[in-house]
Amino acid sequence: MQPVQKRGSKAPTVFTGIVLAEGEAPIFEVGEHIRVLTRSPIGHYRVPQYVRGKRGVVEAIMPIRELDNEQEAFGRNAGSKRHYYRIALPMKELWLQYTGSPRDGLRIEVFETWLERN
Amino acid sequence: MNQSSELLTRLPNDIGGLPGQPVKKVDHVLEPWEKRCHALADVLDFHKIINTEEKRRGVEDLGSEIDSAESYYERWITAFTNILFQKGILTPEEFARKMDEVAARYAK
Amino acid sequence: MEHSTAVHVHSPSEASSAPLSYYEVMETAIQELLIQKQLIGAGDIRRQIEVLDSRTPALGAKVIARAWVDPEFRSRLLANGRTACEELGITFYDDTKLIVLENTPKVHNLIVCTLCSCYPRPVLGLPPDWYKLPPYRSRAVIEPRAVLAEFGTVIPDDVEIRVSDSTAAIRFLVLPVRPEGTENYSEEQLAALVTRDAMIGVVPATIDTARSRK
Repeated sequence: MQPVQKRGSKAPTVFTGIVLAEGEAPIFEVGEHIRVLTRSPIGHYRVPQYVRGKRGVVEAIMPIRELDNEQEAFGRNAGSKRHYYRIALPMKELWLQYTGSPRDGLRIEVFETWLERN
Repeated sequence: MNQSSELLTRLPNDIGGLPGQPVKKVDHVLEPWEKRCHALADVLDFHKIINTEEKRRGVEDLGSEIDSAESYYERWITAFTNILFQKGILTPEEFARKMDEVAARYAK
Repeated sequence: MEHSTAVHVHSPSEASSAPLSYYEVMETAIQELLIQKQLIGAGDIRRQIEVLDSRTPALGAKVIARAWVDPEFRSRLLANGRTACEELGITFYDDTKLIVLENTPKVHNLIVCTLCSCYPRPVLGLPPDWYKLPPYRSRAVIEPRAVLAEFGTVIPDDVEIRVSDSTAAIRFLVLPVRPEGTENYSEEQLAALVTRDAMIGVVPATIDTARSRK
C-alpha cells in the first residue's frame, strides 16, 4: 500500500490499498431502501416480530460497530462486530389498519445481518 | 403452526403490536431489595460475570408462565441465579443452603 | 462444604422484624455467595446504589434547559447525546450511547422499549412502572396517538409521530419543544418545566408547572 500525500501542509495522509476485514465497512448506506428479513430465531433475538419482512429506509448508520446481540446473550461478547442501522418504517407499512396520521413512523436499530436491499 | 412452536418463535417479551389494556400510570418506590437487585445487575455486568444481553436472555428463558407470575425484579434475580448455575459459578446445593441460612437469620 | 467467613449483607430489612419474602432471601443469598467467592466486592452494590440514586430526571431537565438556551450545545447534543451530557458532568456508567430526539412543530417523538425496559437511565434515573409494563410496550408502537391521548396529549394529524423502539445499545431522550412565553426564563426556571414524562415524549413541556409536576 502506498501513502498518498494530498496537496497542502495540513492535509491528512490517505492510504490506498488497505484491505478491510469482514464487517468493517457498512453494507448499507443512508437513504437506502431495505427490507427486514423474516427468519425465526429461537432462544434470543432483538428484532421484534412486528418489523420482520417490513420495508423501510436507512436513516442512519450507528457509527461504532457493535456485537451481534443475539450472540452476546450467550456470552459471545468479543470479536467480530458489525453495524447497526437506524431504520425508518412507516406505520402504514407495519400495520394494515393503522388509524393515525399517514406521516407517522417507527425508528428502530437493526443489526446488519437482519437486512437486505429492497 | 403448532401452538408449542409459537411459544418458541415468539419470545414472551416480544409484545410490540399485540392488543393491550389502557395504560395505567402506575409507579412504585423500589423496595430496598429491588434496588439492590438493580445494582447487582450493574455490578455483574461491570465485573463481566453476566452482561446485560445475557440477563435479557435469562429473563426470556423463564418462559411465559413465570414471566407473568413474577414481578420485574423477581424475574431478574431468578434469571441471575439460573445463569450463575449455567456458568458453573454456583451450584443449586450451595444456593439452597445459603437460602436456608439467610431465611433462618431473619426469621426471628 | 465451603467454610464461609460469615458474610452478612447490611440490608435495611435487618431493622424490621418482618420475615423476608422469598425473592428478598434469594437476592441476599446470591449477593452473599458472590461476595464470599470474591467475584464482587463487599461494597460494590452499595456503591452502585449511590450511583443510581444520583441519577434523576433533574439531570435530563438540565440538559434540556441548556439546549433551549444554547444553540451550539443543542447542536452538539443532537449530534452526540452522550458526549454532550458528559460536558455537563453526566457520566454514562454503561456502554450505551444516547440519541436525543428533537421535537418540532412538525415532529413529535415518543420512546419505548417493546422487548424489555431500555431507558436512558444514566440521565433520567430508573423508569416508572408503566413504561415497563405490557400495555405501554405493546401499544406505543401500534397506536401511539391513542396512548398519548391517555396521557392527555393530543397531537394534530399534520404532525408526524415518530416512535423509537430501543432494541440495541442506543438509548433515547426526547428534547421537548420549549413552551411559549418562556423567553425571559432563566435556565433554572426552564429546567423546572421539564418533566420525566416530557423527556419520554408522552406529554409536552408546558409553562404550567403545577400541572406538569410529575
